[in-house]
Amino acid sequence: MGVDLQYFIEGLTTAFHPMNILWVLIGGFLGTVVGMLPGLGPATAVAVLIPITFGMDPTSALILMAAIYYGAMYGGSRSSILLNTPGDGSAIAATFDGYPMTRNGQAGQALTISAIASLIGGIFAIIGFILLAKPLASFALRFGPAEYFMLFLFTLSAIVSLSKGNMVKGFIAMSIGLMLSTVGIDLQTGVHRFTFGIPQLSEGIDFLVVIIGVYAVGEVLYNYLNLDRLQNKNKLGKIGITREQWKRSKWPIIRNGPIGFLIGVLPGAGGSIASMLSYTTERQLSKHPEEFGKGAVEGVAAPESSNNAASVGSFIPLLTMGIPGSGTTAVILGAVIMLGMRPGPLLFEESPEMVWTLVNSMFLGNILLVAINVLLIGLLVKILSTPPRILYPLILVLAFIGTYTLSYSIIDFYVLVIFGIFGLFMKLLKFPIAPLILAVIVGSDMEQNFRKSLVAHDNLSSILFASPVTIVLLILTVLSVSYPFILSAIQKKRANKSA
Amino acid sequence: MIRLAMPLVSLALSVGFLFFTLNMTKSRVGDPNGPLYFPAVVGIFLLIMSIIYFIQEWKKRSEAMEELRGLVQGRTPLLIVSSLVLIFIYAFLFERIGFLFSTIIFLGGLLFVVNGREKWLQNLLISVIFSIITWYSFAELLNVSLP
Repeated sequence: MGVDLQYFIEGLTTAFHPMNILWVLIGGFLGTVVGMLPGLGPATAVAVLIPITFGMDPTSALILMAAIYYGAMYGGSRSSILLNTPGDGSAIAATFDGYPMTRNGQAGQALTISAIASLIGGIFAIIGFILLAKPLASFALRFGPAEYFMLFLFTLSAIVSLSKGNMVKGFIAMSIGLMLSTVGIDLQTGVHRFTFGIPQLSEGIDFLVVIIGVYAVGEVLYNYLNLDRLQNKNKLGKIGITREQWKRSKWPIIRNGPIGFLIGVLPGAGGSIASMLSYTTERQLSKHPEEFGKGAVEGVAAPESSNNAASVGSFIPLLTMGIPGSGTTAVILGAVIMLGMRPGPLLFEESPEMVWTLVNSMFLGNILLVAINVLLIGLLVKILSTPPRILYPLILVLAFIGTYTLSYSIIDFYVLVIFGIFGLFMKLLKFPIAPLILAVIVGSDMEQNFRKSLVAHDNLSSILFASPVTIVLLILTVLSVSYPFILSAIQKKRANKSA
Repeated sequence: MIRLAMPLVSLALSVGFLFFTLNMTKSRVGDPNGPLYFPAVVGIFLLIMSIIYFIQEWKKRSEAMEELRGLVQGRTPLLIVSSLVLIFIYAFLFERIGFLFSTIIFLGGLLFVVNGREKWLQNLLISVIFSIITWYSFAELLNVSLP
């Protein structure tokens, strides 16, 4: 068992500190609002709101960012259900049956069931977190540079192969991210790399500017394309759910919480895969699959339970190994590094109270968010009907203020614009963004571990086969890159057989 | 042919990056080539990926580039260009006239373009109130100093 009762209680008291409860409320609410904006997801929400955490102590900052994250997950399903416009991948599955429910005049009920499902899924995941995090951290303590290098490699290749679309584009995005991470003075030798004599570049490119540029500025510019098409005109209807609806969604919620959690723990997978998988599983298990896509309540419950569980699960690799498994956790990692904290196995040894505070506050936060989402539903719907034409400019302004507070330098404004335009073109040309962000953030760590292991193991092939862990990771990496090809080969074979 | 522009940019990027990697100053401590191994691997990888990307797009070269059409439709170009212009004005004014006034101008300008001229009163109120609230919460509540 990974629970230290003493730290657990200590964390409980810190989490219930009035100030921290307030941060959870603020984070959850702001996250919900940004997540609700059509086209904007949790990564954007965290990116724009990063500046709020400056000057906070790391624990509160982590609490706040976690609250923003799951707030945005809740918010994302609001816009999926009401407007049929998911903010990011993990909210897509909620549109399949959520929006049909809205069309049937059951919007309120769809929102309630999604809130309840998220809560239960989240609680499952928190229990999973308590059981799994500590053992995993102890295991990761034994990792050396070669293991870490391979872990980074696997995470990057997994996020590329799992982000939908063209894998080549994913790898290009990843490589550009890694390139950006090499700019600046080399930490080991002091050699200037790719600085071209520009003094500002010698400190390297601040990954937070890249994050805010791509996720906030780029997303807003991209959403200009659909600006005039979105407007919420759907009626909310009843909020209370019927006994029949609860009976139908009870098991899907319970089944998919643990599924979502486990997928969330895997690097690269995260909420999008979790919710899609849960949706298809439930459709296959259902006695009336024909209702799916037409407003089946299970079709809302299952993915909602699972994507919220996945978002909690994704904190495990982040906190135990310092490896972000998704775009959003990458952004959170970037922000906590900025605050001088270094997630990894040592975190559990050095500041266990911080970890347990976070766990307790996630628990509290999930309950508060249901309260926010059920009680304030009217207000939230009103915010959602505030035209995006007003909210997008506000996001843009926040992005610039946030960037300025990073370094107090106007030059970053221009860097921000460059990455904003870069992000816009990535979105237009369907380049996945998560691999870029992940690579920018872990790039420098990955390189340091690569070079350390080069010193220890002489050449690349002996890094790959340094230990059982690296061999397993190597196999996983190869599998993650090749499985789409294997899959299509099998399908071809089957098609040939049946033909 | 615009379809091939992106793979070419990516190719050029990888070649340029490799060029600068190979011409990097040698390290005087430890392995003289230490700083260039990692960038070199990344550069070569990007080069390979760019070539594959180029071939993929080459096969589709006669197809129209639907993805970029949205950029030139409706008022999107106007919105993007005027946002960029406003950003440059904002950057110019920010440290000269201070956070509060420059933000009011920036946000007001954005709202005029995005939300429309007809709603000038709404735009004006939002930009003034929002700027004051953010200024207050950053400067007073979060102790972040702004010009």
